[in-house]
Amino acid sequence: MIYDIRHVTTYRYDAPVSAARCTLRLLPADDDGQRVFDSGLEVAPQPASVNQRTDFFGTRIAHVTIASTHRELRITAMSRVEVERRPAPAGELTPDWEDVRQKAFASSVLGPTAPAHFLYPSRLVPMHGPATAYAKESFQTGRPIVEAAAELMTRIRADFKYDPKATAVSTPLSEAFESRGGVCQDFAHIMIAALRGLGLPAAYVSGYIRTIPPAGKPRLVGADASHAWVSLWCGEAFGWLDFDPTNALMAGNDHIVIARGRDYADVSPIDGVILASGNQTLTVSVDVAPSQRMASDPPPRAVELV
Amino acid sequence: MPSESAASRKNDRRQNGGSAKRVENWTAGYQALPGIPDEFIDRDGQPRAHWQSFLNALSRIEDEQIDRRFAAADRHIRDLGISYRVYGETNERSWPLSHVPLLIPERDWKAIAQGVTQRAELMERILADVYGEGKLVSEGALPAAAVTGSADFMRPMQGVKPPGDRWLRLYACDIGRGPDGRWWVLGDRAQAPSGTGNALENRLVLSRAFPNLYRDMNVERLAPFFREFRKGLTDSATRPEPRICLLTPGPYSQTYFEQAYLARYLGILLVEGDDLTVQDGMVHVRTIAGLKRADVIWRRVDADWCDPLEANAASRLGVPGLIQAIRNGTVTVANMPGAGLVESRALLAFMPALCKRLMGQDLQLPNIATWWCGQEDARNEVMSRLDELVVSGAFSETLPGMKGMRNLIGADLDGATRTQLMDNLSQRAVDYVGQEMVQLSTTPVWENGKLTPRPFVLRVYAAATEKGWEIMPGGFCRISAVSDARAVSMGEGVQSADVWVLADKPVEMTTLLPSSDTVKIRRLLGNLPSRAADNLFWLGRYMERVEATLRIVRCLCARMMDPDSMTGGGRQSTFRLARMLSAWGAVPPEMAEATTAEIAAAALHGKKNVGSASAIASAAHRAAGVIRERLSPDAWHLLRALDVSLAHDDVKQMPEAEAFDTADEALRVIAALSGLFQENTNRVAGWRFLDMGRRVERAINTCRFARTFADKDATAENLDVLLDLIDSQITYRSRYLVGVALAPVRDMVLLDTFNPRSVAFQSERINEHLATLPLLNGDGIMEAPSRLALKIVSDLKVEDADHLDQQKILAVEQRLMALAEAVAQRYFLQGPNATRQGREMDLA
Repeated sequence: MIYDIRHVTTYRYDAPVSAARCTLRLLPADDDGQRVFDSGLEVAPQPASVNQRTDFFGTRIAHVTIASTHRELRITAMSRVEVERRPAPAGELTPDWEDVRQKAFASSVLGPTAPAHFLYPSRLVPMHGPATAYAKESFQTGRPIVEAAAELMTRIRADFKYDPKATAVSTPLSEAFESRGGVCQDFAHIMIAALRGLGLPAAYVSGYIRTIPPAGKPRLVGADASHAWVSLWCGEAFGWLDFDPTNALMAGNDHIVIARGRDYADVSPIDGVILASGNQTLTVSVDVAPSQRMASDPPPRAVELV
Repeated sequence: MPSESAASRKNDRRQNGGSAKRVENWTAGYQALPGIPDEFIDRDGQPRAHWQSFLNALSRIEDEQIDRRFAAADRHIRDLGISYRVYGETNERSWPLSHVPLLIPERDWKAIAQGVTQRAELMERILADVYGEGKLVSEGALPAAAVTGSADFMRPMQGVKPPGDRWLRLYACDIGRGPDGRWWVLGDRAQAPSGTGNALENRLVLSRAFPNLYRDMNVERLAPFFREFRKGLTDSATRPEPRICLLTPGPYSQTYFEQAYLARYLGILLVEGDDLTVQDGMVHVRTIAGLKRADVIWRRVDADWCDPLEANAASRLGVPGLIQAIRNGTVTVANMPGAGLVESRALLAFMPALCKRLMGQDLQLPNIATWWCGQEDARNEVMSRLDELVVSGAFSETLPGMKGMRNLIGADLDGATRTQLMDNLSQRAVDYVGQEMVQLSTTPVWENGKLTPRPFVLRVYAAATEKGWEIMPGGFCRISAVSDARAVSMGEGVQSADVWVLADKPVEMTTLLPSSDTVKIRRLLGNLPSRAADNLFWLGRYMERVEATLRIVRCLCARMMDPDSMTGGGRQSTFRLARMLSAWGAVPPEMAEATTAEIAAAALHGKKNVGSASAIASAAHRAAGVIRERLSPDAWHLLRALDVSLAHDDVKQMPEAEAFDTADEALRVIAALSGLFQENTNRVAGWRFLDMGRRVERAINTCRFARTFADKDATAENLDVLLDLIDSQITYRSRYLVGVALAPVRDMVLLDTFNPRSVAFQSERINEHLATLPLLNGDGIMEAPSRLALKIVSDLKVEDADHLDQQKILAVEQRLMALAEAVAQRYFLQGPNATRQGREMDLA
């Protein structure tokens, strides 16, 4: 599947802002089962400097400095990506989870995808005893890892309510866990905490998911959103496999990866220092369009969601 | 130097027996803890020779003299403000210094120094491998998970080649003497080892208290170590005369005093993250003369906080872009971010093997036997031998999953805790290490005129130089509060001790002074950082505002105490004085009708009133705290005394006479401070900002006084108050014999350039200061502050007193406020990273 992705973020300020410095993680990179044809960033007003690099985990990063006074900052990221993932392995064929844990502890690699990076608590994912206890119910001794993780994912989907009002970006994991509600980011963090609590290497994946319109309705341009899910290391033979607890499915060809890291803090799309004295309004519009359907689609129009 | 013992030696000869008796008294009942080696007495209970000679030397000083010297040392510590801050507390505590040093003979010291040298080199090689080729991990000598668990494993540093190929420039390890008499390494410090400044301070205090003792015992000097360390930093830079900065997390850091002290001692710039900025791939200091290149950064900010762009995005302590500048090779950072990796306990388990592999040697100083539970065999060992071991966090100060406990002694576990720990060990074994229980040796402390054994830990420092590692002869010794010798009970210690390495022959005197032919004579020192200028300016303003508030209170109380002045006109003046206090927040508005006793108490001591003398004195103290390395100890002492003398928040009312005295006394402290700044401060840019701050605040306050007490209907009583407030009674009386009149008073207060209290006088001084400060551009165009100052000066010059009115005075006052703002705009921190703290009162 080939996708055209357009991700527009707009900050509007009540009072003029004289300078801004931000870090953008908005461009996809080649990944297992994913190829990037073309991608680019547009920032208005014109930045004084843009420095691009790739971080340790392979995420494409742009450091942008804006030196001119502005009332609106608009960041547009566009890319064309092909996704063709291998089907998920049959759960019962995967190794015993405790065996995977011991392999991860004893591993002797330090590269970007090494399991050792994803074993420990991270900035936004502290160890949380109750989450680990919750996970344990699915991780009985000797159980194949994918089977157990898939069950954990399904339970999260069933036990937690999708509720954008329940949490904010800054809500601590423990609170989201207690309230049994939140958004994809919370579910991913909770599942990561649960898995790491058992000693398993779990990573946070940020990206997009293609939304399928209800039967007979046209696809709504711009109505998509950033998405997040979990990647679990399942031993040498199977490597990293992606679990989407928000939708209770293993990531497939509807998932497009932007970045992988230990948690949201490693991959947050926009981090920044903006000296705004007044209030600001943030608007995000994401559009994930399958390319072959472009012809039949109405011409793109930006539908902005506040 | 007068000999401490000219008199006492004579005494000595007379009562030689007495001296031996006294040593006996001090040491009677001194007993080593069972099975624990002691520094003072050997296994057979006999005093060791070097201690014997120390005590003999001490006994030549009379008891009373000793007490006095101990007391002087304690005072010295207090006066110097040697202190540290416990995280989360806003007040500093002083770190008590043991009156008796830790003595180590040269022979023993050599073994320690060699062992620490080896270990420093080992750490350097481990870091170079982990961030470089990665062979230790890929070839199985070090499990990947033993590296990644450290919060100081800095992934952005992967593949970076540090300047001079050095990750470490200052390394330290904590050592203790074990039951077998050998020294053991308890832990490593590689992120930003603290305590070198405390060691230096302890030395200063103790050697001053006992100069002859110090000399006679042939104590190795510390200064050469610091000279070599500094030289190592200098040599690492690409420019011949590099700018070296000490990057501090700021005055709320636990070891801020030490950092300020070291910056001052080593003659390097103390900077906070805001002071630095990265431009064109290089680090610069923001100064009043614009951006100036920073070549070397001695980092005391933890790696995770040092660059919000590549590490913790929430950090406000760091420098955005610092890591990229390191990658560019344009700056030396000591130690490199990520060096803290080798501090984790997990690595202790691998040190013996790593030393063999990387150095081809055995460890000269063994470290505590450690098992990292991430390895299956090690975990099984720990679980089966739990009763003999201590379990600690492999990477953290506290034990993960055990409710904030620092460690667990296997033998002491109750059933529930044991089950919980075993459970955790089977689930997340990577988080834990088991360590053998270590007992520390004891050293004597002085308690109630007697020596008592206490366990201690010694921190030893190694500095990287071009010739190799230089070891500080001495160190930072922390002594336990209790006689429990188990290392785990040590905590932070309760007191510190100076460490005397005793040479066999007299040692050479050295200081940081280089030989005279290597020093280029200069009278001006570098460029003043913008943040320092900012704080000096505000220190000046706060001092002046405290003074003005005190003068109002004193004037108010004086009027109330004088029965004659309380007639109609007088009452109106006191009402206006009280209104001024309320207008600038010294008393809350609802106290308008309160008694003088209440108003005076609130204006002097009310901490909650943002404009009270007490609140502003605290603000001055705080501003001074940020630039402590630029103030003399005397000035710091006075500023603290001022703050402390006014801090009596519980006083709700005070008799006029008492309030008068309090204000009067505080004004005398301010006068002493003013004298100090006037007479003992170099006329460099820093002093100019301090003085400008005072002048601008004084000029603004004087305009307010004039508008309040010299309006066109002012009574003689009002004008009299005004002359009191600006301290010009005597001048006025000597100049005009006819009594007070409006125009002459206005002239004296506002226009008279000969009166050091007039607005015109302040403006001229500000104008002079601005003229000496550096310009940003050489384009010959006047900068905004100079333009404003010149306008004020000339307006006042051409004005005449008869034509002055309220409107004109207000206009001058507003221009002065604009001038203060223009100074801030031009010289202080600006731009995307300038996170200026809010100031404590609504000054312009």
